[in-house]
Amino acid sequence: MTAAGQSPEFEPEGLPGATLAQEQDARLVAAVLARDRKATAEFVARYTDRIYSYICSRLAPNVENAEDLVQEVFLAAWKSLPSFQGGSALAAWLLGIARHKIQDYYRVLLREPDPLDEDFAESEEAMVLPEQERALDEQRMRERTLRVLAELPEQYRLVLQWRYWERRSASEMAERTGKSEKAIERLLARARDQFRRKWQNG
Amino acid sequence: MAEPKSKDQDFEKLAASVRLTRPGATHAPARLKARVYSALMLAAAAEGELRDMAKTKEAGRELCAFEELVRLAPVNRKLKSANICRVCHARVLAEMLENPPIYWPHCPYAEFKKS
Repeated sequence: MTAAGQSPEFEPEGLPGATLAQEQDARLVAAVLARDRKATAEFVARYTDRIYSYICSRLAPNVENAEDLVQEVFLAAWKSLPSFQGGSALAAWLLGIARHKIQDYYRVLLREPDPLDEDFAESEEAMVLPEQERALDEQRMRERTLRVLAELPEQYRLVLQWRYWERRSASEMAERTGKSEKAIERLLARARDQFRRKWQNG
Repeated sequence: MAEPKSKDQDFEKLAASVRLTRPGATHAPARLKARVYSALMLAAAAEGELRDMAKTKEAGRELCAFEELVRLAPVNRKLKSANICRVCHARVLAEMLENPPIYWPHCPYAEFKKS
């Protein structure tokens, strides 16, 4: 037994200068790869909160698919674990996988047909925005925004979040979804219009 | 007609002033951890035998009462490497309930309530 109380086979291939956290990660990964049930439970217990928190933050306000996505992240991570190099923290590596899963989720949704595909011209009416509505405090503004987003068809909500909250350009969104830039612009225009209508009515 | 850019600006301002998520971590439900663990164990068992319980114990990881029983019992090696949680009621309860009535030590499903 080693000083760390682990059998020799759990020893990471100690890189000189590896931090304690990296060594703990390497030891845990080695045990999970050896199909050790308790190490796998530790892996889940240690990282699920972080992954769940990240996914909820990206899906808010509609987080009903968060749990399925977390499970997908862990299964994908488990399959790729042999390629984990230990150069970054295990948490950061898992968050990278979660980021890809979220992008896949967006991509699939945005490829679906427009829920309100009909003749359409975007309203030119301006929204009453925060600086004009100083009476609304930040908390109420946030609640109103979340409520309006939650009322939108999911595709519209996602396209707005991707474009404005995550600051993706229409061309980048087009590239990632396989749609034309024009189609993305059209979808954005419809989403903005729906948002405005619900905002003004709210 | 207004420039498309000005339509963008409305939303850019809104996004800049409203955070959609509250800062700080969100605690994952214990039943989600139970489900994720079950899924990983199923995937691991599909790839091959799980690590022998004796080896898990040698590595300094504690076993639950049932695993300990299997470890000590004169049964064949295959059973000692089986995914016995699959047939345990603790797994079923933990996957369905946020606070399952399972209390014995070193059961991962009981531990998820505390993690």
